[in-house]
Amino acid sequence: MRRNSRGSWLLAIALAAVAAALPLAFLRNQYNLILLTTVALYGVLTSAWNIIGGMAGQLDLSAGAYLGLGAYTTATLLLRWNITPWVGMFAGGVVAMGFAFLVGFPLFRFRIREVWYALSSSALVVVLQVVFLLWKQVGGPMERLLPSASFSLYNLRFQSYLPYYYIMLVLLLATLFIAYRIRTRRLGYYLLALGDNEDAAEVLGVDARGSKLKALVIYAFLVGITGGLYACIYGFVHTSFFSPTISMEVAILGIVGGLGIIYGPLLATVILVTGRELLRAGLGGRLQSLYLVIYAVVLILIALLRPRGLASLLGAWRKERR
Amino acid sequence: MSGEPILQVSELCKSFGNLAALNRVSFHIAPGEILGLIGPNGAGKTTLFNTISGLYHPDGGQVAFKGQSIGGLSPHAICKLGMSRTFQVTQAFEHLSVAEAIRIGAYNRHGERGVEAKVRETVAFFGLEKIQDWKCSDLGLAPLKRVEVARAAATDPELLLLDEAGAGLNASELAELMEMLKTLRRKRDMTLCVVEHVMPMVMGLCERIIVLDYGELIAEGTPEMISKNEKVIEAYLGRRSKR
Repeated sequence: MRRNSRGSWLLAIALAAVAAALPLAFLRNQYNLILLTTVALYGVLTSAWNIIGGMAGQLDLSAGAYLGLGAYTTATLLLRWNITPWVGMFAGGVVAMGFAFLVGFPLFRFRIREVWYALSSSALVVVLQVVFLLWKQVGGPMERLLPSASFSLYNLRFQSYLPYYYIMLVLLLATLFIAYRIRTRRLGYYLLALGDNEDAAEVLGVDARGSKLKALVIYAFLVGITGGLYACIYGFVHTSFFSPTISMEVAILGIVGGLGIIYGPLLATVILVTGRELLRAGLGGRLQSLYLVIYAVVLILIALLRPRGLASLLGAWRKERR
Repeated sequence: MSGEPILQVSELCKSFGNLAALNRVSFHIAPGEILGLIGPNGAGKTTLFNTISGLYHPDGGQVAFKGQSIGGLSPHAICKLGMSRTFQVTQAFEHLSVAEAIRIGAYNRHGERGVEAKVRETVAFFGLEKIQDWKCSDLGLAPLKRVEVARAAATDPELLLLDEAGAGLNASELAELMEMLKTLRRKRDMTLCVVEHVMPMVMGLCERIIVLDYGELIAEGTPEMISKNEKVIEAYLGRRSKR
């Protein structure tokens, strides 16, 4: 692997360039730009999830919680104090991070793992949804619309999806880079060891609670920023942003992609989210929910045929070529 | 042996429900020695290791490492102070390669700069070059046991606790392991404490032996003395019938 690292970097840069050039092919077609932006957004979420879910092996189902927190922080700062989302989304990341710390501290202190962690983390999403439903000053049952100027750089409001796509792409590349840095350094090795065997890691000097908390907080920060962008793209915030469905989907894509492999979740996202959205658009008029059935069957097939994830397909292909 | 003990255990107690797994156990380990800890199955040897290394909280008594009380500290904090261990039932990192498993230990005393060199050195010391890229899940028992010793040694401990590192090894593997352990002590100034059922290993390696039975210390002495101790023989073989 090490000998190939220059090649891997070149490949990564080439793929990033392709991603950046992709919209040029569909400048006229807003639908395709929405699709690209959606894929990039899920790419950020799943790649960030990989840090806590793939490397640390914590089956986290709380992406929706941090997404919602980021969105509401960004919206509230803009609506109440007219603070630009460019700042707001980072504030959203910090709020999500702080919240993750408060939740993660007791969870990891009492060594909550596996299904119990999954249940606790998914409960978080639902709890926050209710809190924001009842918290009239910030949330409430209705959508909160962001200022609807047709174009405002300050408000992060654009007429086309093109700028959103590029902002999301930058965030995606940053997320991948962060995941890569973690994976190749002490924290990444520690997380992988913890995911495999916590007691064995602890007696080798691995601080289980501290390492997992770092992973959770970094993940929450990235998802929180994404939440801020999400609010700007849709032009409103709503309690449905605290979505158990998105949380579940992020985890599923992360697992299907290949746990702990940097490009795995992104690979799964690109293939599956694109496929799903195209199916939805294609079949939408005739059989409304058929796309979900097909999507589910594909997921089951992958789980059966490639239990170590889609990334293992590439792994096998590489080995044969060597 | 010079100076104060590297580990001083006093009146250590640990119970599970009504079962007293450790009952007022006291002993010490002198710097640089190889101490053997033996006893029949269920005597409390692994419980003792778990309590010393921080995986269990003691119910009573003291554990002092290099003069500092460590009762109640977490295992990683104890490892940072200079104590590591292996497990009786091997605890592998299934998804990591041999070199990566050792790397986990090597990070204990090394940053990103020095860690590679430490891993290479440890791999070479334990003769693991050929299998260093293997996944731990693909290893058999003997190499797995060796990797466990290697990754613990990579943390650069002053005191290394080995829980049945020799169990299941054949004669030549055992001889190799004993050589490595002796070298660790001689060249790295490590103090060793070994739990062992394999008697040739205990007798060939240890200068001093303590015997645990039903959670209590019943004997202490040189291998020679222990092998003739009535209480020890009784614990292992049962009471001799008296006429």
